[in-house]
Amino acid sequence: MFKKRREGKDASSPNRMMLRRTLFLMIVCGIVAFIALGARLFKLQIIDHDMYETAAVEQQLRETTVTAHRGTIYDRNMNILAMSASVSNIFISPAEIKMNEENPVYIAQGLANILGLDYEDVYQKTLNTESWYTTLARKVDDDITEQVREFKANKGKDAMGNPVADEKDSVELTGVKIEEASRRYYPYSALASHVIGFTGADDHGLAGLEYYYDDVLAGTDGRIVRATNAFGTDMMFTDFEDYYDAEDGQSIVTTIDATVQYYLEKHLQSAMEDYDLQDGAAGIVMDVRTGGILGMASLGEFDPNDYMTLSPEIEERIEENSTGLTTEEHDALVEQERQEMWRNKALSDTYEPGSVFKIITLASGLESGAVTTNSTFFCAGSINVLGRTDPLNCANIYGHGNQTLAEAVMHSCNVAFTLIGQYIGAERFYDYIRAFGLFDKTGVDLTGESGSLWWDEDVFFDKNNLSQLAAASFGQTFTITPMQLITAVSAVTNGGYLMKPYIVSEVLNADGTVAKQTEPTVIRQVISEQTSKTCCEILEQVVSNVNEGTGTNAYVAGYRVAGKTGTSEDVLYEATHGTKKYIASFLGFAPADDPVVAVLVVLENPGPENTFSVGGGTMAAPKVGMILSDILPYLGVEPEYAEGESAIVDQRVPRVIGKTPEEARQALESVGFTVKSVEGSGAAVTAQMPAGNAKVAGGSEIVLYCDAEPDKEPVEVPNLLGLSYEIARIRAGWLGLYVRGEGTMLNSPIIMTVDQSIEPGTMVDPGTIITVTMSDSSKLTIW
Amino acid sequence: MASKTDAAVSYESPRLADYTSETEADRGQVDLPFALLSLLLLTVGVVMVLSASFARAYYDPSNTTGGNATYYFVRQALFALVGVGVMFLCSRFPMGFYKRISSTVMLVSLALLVLVLVPGIGEKANNARRWINLGFTTFQPSEIAKIGIIMYFALLICNNKDGLKNLKSLIPFGICLGMVFVLLVLEPHMSAIIIIAAIGLVMLFLGGLPLYWFVGGGAAAAAVLGVGYAMFGYVRDRFSAWLNPFADASDAGFQIVQSLYSIGSGGLLGLGLGNSRQKFLYLPEEHNDFIFSVVCEELGFIGAMLILALFALLIVRGYWLSMHARDRYSALVGAGITTHLAMQVLLNVAVCTNSIPCTGISLPLFSYGGTALLLQMAELGIILSLSRDIPEKR
Repeated sequence: MFKKRREGKDASSPNRMMLRRTLFLMIVCGIVAFIALGARLFKLQIIDHDMYETAAVEQQLRETTVTAHRGTIYDRNMNILAMSASVSNIFISPAEIKMNEENPVYIAQGLANILGLDYEDVYQKTLNTESWYTTLARKVDDDITEQVREFKANKGKDAMGNPVADEKDSVELTGVKIEEASRRYYPYSALASHVIGFTGADDHGLAGLEYYYDDVLAGTDGRIVRATNAFGTDMMFTDFEDYYDAEDGQSIVTTIDATVQYYLEKHLQSAMEDYDLQDGAAGIVMDVRTGGILGMASLGEFDPNDYMTLSPEIEERIEENSTGLTTEEHDALVEQERQEMWRNKALSDTYEPGSVFKIITLASGLESGAVTTNSTFFCAGSINVLGRTDPLNCANIYGHGNQTLAEAVMHSCNVAFTLIGQYIGAERFYDYIRAFGLFDKTGVDLTGESGSLWWDEDVFFDKNNLSQLAAASFGQTFTITPMQLITAVSAVTNGGYLMKPYIVSEVLNADGTVAKQTEPTVIRQVISEQTSKTCCEILEQVVSNVNEGTGTNAYVAGYRVAGKTGTSEDVLYEATHGTKKYIASFLGFAPADDPVVAVLVVLENPGPENTFSVGGGTMAAPKVGMILSDILPYLGVEPEYAEGESAIVDQRVPRVIGKTPEEARQALESVGFTVKSVEGSGAAVTAQMPAGNAKVAGGSEIVLYCDAEPDKEPVEVPNLLGLSYEIARIRAGWLGLYVRGEGTMLNSPIIMTVDQSIEPGTMVDPGTIITVTMSDSSKLTIW
Repeated sequence: MASKTDAAVSYESPRLADYTSETEADRGQVDLPFALLSLLLLTVGVVMVLSASFARAYYDPSNTTGGNATYYFVRQALFALVGVGVMFLCSRFPMGFYKRISSTVMLVSLALLVLVLVPGIGEKANNARRWINLGFTTFQPSEIAKIGIIMYFALLICNNKDGLKNLKSLIPFGICLGMVFVLLVLEPHMSAIIIIAAIGLVMLFLGGLPLYWFVGGGAAAAAVLGVGYAMFGYVRDRFSAWLNPFADASDAGFQIVQSLYSIGSGGLLGLGLGNSRQKFLYLPEEHNDFIFSVVCEELGFIGAMLILALFALLIVRGYWLSMHARDRYSALVGAGITTHLAMQVLLNVAVCTNSIPCTGISLPLFSYGGTALLLQMAELGIILSLSRDIPEKR
């Protein structure tokens, strides 16, 4: 039957229509539809490939950051000014808590407890199960991190926090995460804070060197990119994992010397207190030979470890001023105070330098040949200047009379300097100012440097109006920064070479090798070595000439200190505040015959509680003197005492314990001490008063004990004020007390004790050392 | 119900052995291109199941595999082996046998569709009762219903002398489809309805139903879709997810977005066999309904097009064989099965590529699923059987 059918066409065969329709289906379902799907695939896989691949890779890859270690900031002696320590960020992954069925209550309780957070807050965060990363605590210290790590390990508990019988069944809490991070520490706290700056929460610099050298210090964070499955664990059977190594930041070695910086800040701080400074103080110590900055300070200071915190005084001031302010206005005020606190005055504030600028006028005059050391200037107390309606007055209204160039500088005579300015001429003067770099920023490697403000040339060069030239010649009607001034003056002192100031001397790789070294850069020679020498000699007389000099308060026994005083008024402040604001400054350098270091101190706005007469000579000069007397020996500059000077110079008491009384006497007398008495009858010295290495006035009488007990009976501190240093030492010596000097240690009848460290009438042990401050208190305000 | 004239011979030998032994010698060889294409696609499909499934099998998020990475592969490979046997066996039965059991298959299908709705027999998953658990494996009665419709409609058409020209002759088709639809709506099972509707329409189309019916049919299909859209929230969600899958990429659009990521990241040449990343639990149903997405990701545009070309060849060959079938029943069943195959392939790929709204349609010979595979192999076996009756070219 089958055979028969196969041959014949009958009604059961497919008919023509059926074949046509099948053919139609074949074309539609077998060809057309596939072409359409092929086109669709082409769109997805070829045209939109990049888009989908990017999106897919984004969800497949988990990136873990490996934090680069931030470099260290060292001072020039490799003391650490800023360093990073590793800490941890603690976060949770609510998505994993949910996915792995961990107990959010247990986790929230545990972590809130360890981290000292509010349980309810933490619990709410665990419920946000969309999130893979919710931070709980940042920059957590090691001991806390260890507790979190222990909690995460969850030994002896299951995912719900219930105890398990067998420790093997413990379930690690995957929802608790620990991330390495680092925290910045500033071991010296507020020391040099304006120079060092600080870092923000993201560990990047926000101010100071931390900001300026952020690229160098930060390094490059590493990454681990892993392909993971949808649960966030490793993608098995594939080795897709990319490491990008973290590159640790480089360290920087600064020219800052922590010791110099300490003395600078210490004496600026005492100036703040002594003169009740309202607007702070700034100071720079520069190595004049290289332009390296040994110290730079602005007061009031802040602690970079806690850089958001305002001092109590500022808080109080905000409190006083914020009555009736809205929250926004109050916040703006706080922010303004913070900015003010972080401001590096020495670099960012501009001011009229006043008479300190006469150093530049002097150098320009000598170099240009407009004046010589033999030039004389007559001062009648005032001078008429072309373009000025009223005569220009000198500080000394009776006039300085006929003066040599050196005397004019010593007197800081404005009349003489007006003449010097005119002899130089406006164009030539501007050329020198330009050559000293005072039109430009110094380019020091720190952020926030301000520029100067000068009269336009068409005004300054006006032949019919010399008043701008006159004012400029003694440092007024233009503004510059302290940094610009000390850089220019350094050029005057160091042989005439304008150095580019710098603060980072070396960049070190993470392994300690030197990556980059800063060589001192001479920008140009502005004046000749001879002119420089002459200027130094004249400026030394400002300090050393007891009778004529205005800067004698900066004198340091044993050292040839030179410098120039300056007192200026802030005209803008007076216009806006209605009260006068004085700026007292002094720029000193030493030794005058071969200058090593320059110190500029700028004291702003002495307040109502100031008892000193206002002026650079009375206020700033003594502070510069104290700074120099502290740092010159430290910097290895050997003192050379003039005749008779050693008597009043403080000496270190040799340690003589263990020697025979006779040996001890010889040792003491060799450095200018005498032996007051030898107590007891032992063969060797068992104790001495004052102790070895203590620093007291030369000529002090030392008591030696040989097997005898030192006297412990308290004595009353005498009043030592108004005495010469020698008399003060002798008077104290009568009572078995000792003195040490500070301030103007100059052997002159007009230098007297103006302060003593221990109040008269205080009961102290015998052998106590009293620090007395010496000053020329006879001098009036010096302009 | 069966045709008296056609079936007269067959009725003389009702036992199975008779068909095979008596007629075997008279029949020709199976169509080699169709058989080889089927086996080639099956082999590639099983390999792809291994590649697509091992991540899920290894991580075992649903606690079924015990972490055995080859769990799904081994099972699929076993079913494939059995499937080859089933295909061979089905190619041995003469077409007359199929014609005679057509009504029975339809009745059994209906019975199973009723059974699956009985709680305790039918397994409920995702708010739908589609599966019957046999202990060692599970299967969907709707799969059997598809072949039931093909065979039964072919039989009805053969018995219908006037070529479906009058309304009365359509009544049995209507009743049959209606019953199946009602039962499927009760499960509910939208994708099965779509496939069965398509198959039913194609059968009527081949049976000679005047073309104007299809205009009405198109309207009816739109109406069905409209009703589905209105009745079932999940249908509405699927539509909006289709139009803009990225709007809700973490929920409604999740599957389709992950599928697009897989396909798109394959590019021209793909990540290489076994190197899919999306299968690491990102792509859902990666060894099932979305296995083609893994194919695209691993083998790229070239590989995917090659596999589509193989499917296209198989389908064209299926229709070609049907057109050359010796009798009308064979031609109808062959075209019906080929259409079923084409529908599954086209709709599955269309879903993977977001060309149509997402619905669960498996890719024949690729998607993991034992009983479905066995049924597919049986269907291919039937086509092979009809190919044997095609006279050699003169």
